[in-house]
Amino acid sequence: MASALSEWAGDDVRLADVDRAIARLRGQTAGKSGQPSLRTSVMTHMAWVPEPWIDKARAALSGMAERHPSRAILLFPEPNAGSDGIDAGVSLECYAVPGVDREVCSEVIELRLRGMRSKAPASIVEPLLISDLPVFLRWRGEPPWGSQELEQLVDVTDRLIVDSTEWDDLPYPYRNLATLFDRANTSDIAWARTSRWRTLLASLWPDIVTVGTVRVRGTQAQALLIVGWLRSRLERDDILLEHVQAERLEGIDLDGKPAPFPPGDPPIPSDVLSDELDRLGRDPVYEAAVLAALQ
Amino acid sequence: MPALYSLAYRRLLPSRFAVVGTSRSDETDDGFREDMKQAVQRYARDEFRQDVWDELSGSMRYVAMDFDDDAAESTLDDVVTELDGQKQLGGNRVYYLAVPPPAFPTIVDALGKHRTERSGWTRLIVEKPFGHDLKSAQELTALLRQHFAENEIFRIDHYLGKETVQNMLALRFANGIFEPIWNRQFIDHVQITVAESIGIEGRAGYYEQAGAIRDIFQNHLLQLLALTAMEPPIDFTSESVRNEKVKVLKSLHTPGPKSVVRGQYGRGFVEGEEVPAYREEVGVASDSMTETFVAAKLYVDNWRWADTPFYVRMGKRLARRETTIAIQFKRAPHPPFEETAAEGLRPNVLLVHVQPDEGVSLAIGAKVPGQGMTIQTVHMDFLYGGAFRTGLPEAYERLILDTMLGDATLFTRNDEIDEQWLLVDAIVAQWQRDRPAFPNYAAGTWGPPSSEELLRRDGRSWRRH
Repeated sequence: MASALSEWAGDDVRLADVDRAIARLRGQTAGKSGQPSLRTSVMTHMAWVPEPWIDKARAALSGMAERHPSRAILLFPEPNAGSDGIDAGVSLECYAVPGVDREVCSEVIELRLRGMRSKAPASIVEPLLISDLPVFLRWRGEPPWGSQELEQLVDVTDRLIVDSTEWDDLPYPYRNLATLFDRANTSDIAWARTSRWRTLLASLWPDIVTVGTVRVRGTQAQALLIVGWLRSRLERDDILLEHVQAERLEGIDLDGKPAPFPPGDPPIPSDVLSDELDRLGRDPVYEAAVLAALQ
Repeated sequence: MPALYSLAYRRLLPSRFAVVGTSRSDETDDGFREDMKQAVQRYARDEFRQDVWDELSGSMRYVAMDFDDDAAESTLDDVVTELDGQKQLGGNRVYYLAVPPPAFPTIVDALGKHRTERSGWTRLIVEKPFGHDLKSAQELTALLRQHFAENEIFRIDHYLGKETVQNMLALRFANGIFEPIWNRQFIDHVQITVAESIGIEGRAGYYEQAGAIRDIFQNHLLQLLALTAMEPPIDFTSESVRNEKVKVLKSLHTPGPKSVVRGQYGRGFVEGEEVPAYREEVGVASDSMTETFVAAKLYVDNWRWADTPFYVRMGKRLARRETTIAIQFKRAPHPPFEETAAEGLRPNVLLVHVQPDEGVSLAIGAKVPGQGMTIQTVHMDFLYGGAFRTGLPEAYERLILDTMLGDATLFTRNDEIDEQWLLVDAIVAQWQRDRPAFPNYAAGTWGPPSSEELLRRDGRSWRRH
């Protein structure tokens, strides 16, 4: 079980203060051996978290260190704050490893970007990225397409993770998302949540080839991605979608007949995010589904 | 002074020891001590201890003087001689010159003139810049040699005092596993980055004359390259190490114009804050052609490194403060995995962090636990803070102590300086032929696009982050 052992916080800080705080906290974790805890990271995990998403972002991050030891950088933009500045908090999330005296620790850095500081986030995170490790960016909510903060962060990111369930006016935002495919590998939590259903639908081959109408009870994003996936895989743009709004993917009918329910429970949010953090390459099947969802 | 304090804190200074500060400014002994105390309290790496400070400052004196003034020179000599007698210093003296280049000849002449017959040794620490080009550097050396022997001159390059730079020698020559593969057979290329996120910090007068090539390339960067590429010395004496370094510097092939990129920063963002363009800095000409960024592809023309590029880059107002030496090894000749299995696999890189986060990191491919065979790059890190509880000494501590001990291993010899200037002069001469469109990179980025192109046309890219 991971625990947050040490914490530091400061207002109106420079990034050198954050670096020093990390080094100091690590020194404070020295155990009986007199040596500080081990640092382990396989990535830098950034998250852009506007105010409404803060609690959910922290919850999803919880327990991630053991599965994906990483330096986590949570960016809380506050463009309308009355002043410009960076407030920071640093903690070490540590956990025991069997057979090893010292705990393994990962850093969690929270940066509150006030005023204009929220407009140039790449210049803030770049000094904090761990050299030569992939950078994952989880963007909470719908990205402000074309904004400098999105453009900058995409440029320093290897993989962009979004959840199109969090967006309004679908499918139109998919058009903007598709423009980023050549710049950063993209994952969509909404897509990941359809994984169990896609496996099941694929098992209906070859009967599914002639499907005319797909009725999806779930989020709009899931419905669009399911039908987009079928259109692109079956190379047919005439498959119709009927969407029934639900909080989660509850069922799929094919030409009026319910598809079997996939076995098991749907994964919890941190499991879904964890799976996406395992992926490094481009996902051409998802990209094709997004483009087909726009038809 | 913080370095001296840290040495005193660890009782590494001799008991018979005195400090005399001198400059043009009027100041009393007490005022000088107070200024130095504040510097120690603000910058020293150790806690402030009154007893340590009292012992160090007890024999601290100040002489306000202009070296053009013969009478003032005598005053300084009198004070030093007086302290020599009081503290029984045996006539041993270290002169530390941190002065602007124009003041140099006058001060060296004055010090030389007052060298009288006395027992004990004299050592002169000289801060960079060592001249402006080869000619001025040789003139400077000639001036120094009028009064001081080469073994009395300690040309300081504080990078050489850094633990991680010295650790490069330990890494290479204390481990059996690296040296056999430290050559063109196994190494694809080397990248050396000396990046600063700060601007010129009010030093326009100096920087307008120097530029990135004289400020960093001529000294720190070429020294890092020499330590990376040098042959194993037969021992760790100053002459053996410096002999090997100078061989590397002599082997450096002068890069053609297409192999050198220069840049100057425009406006941009650093730490989320908008910062001015170089030409908007106070004291900088609005049409300045001074470069704040240099990238180059260098070749060490010898048996070990033939055809192995050393890509180097350095500059101001870059995306982050970082000094690293990255040894990128050749890829495995035949990875037996499916292409998708190894898409997260990057080449093996041995990364020496000189600053910050000082340590060494080796990137290797490892199987991701679970079903199937997916390979991902992971890092084996050695961080000083994680392995040793002893704090890292500041570079100046080591270098000042070495000067007192007479060990010049970590100082630059005059023939190294000459070789460094030869290369710089050749590059600067090529620059006279064209006038680039400055500014050509935004502050807070990794330099101009042509820097990326320098590697891209070789099928390579700069390390990210």
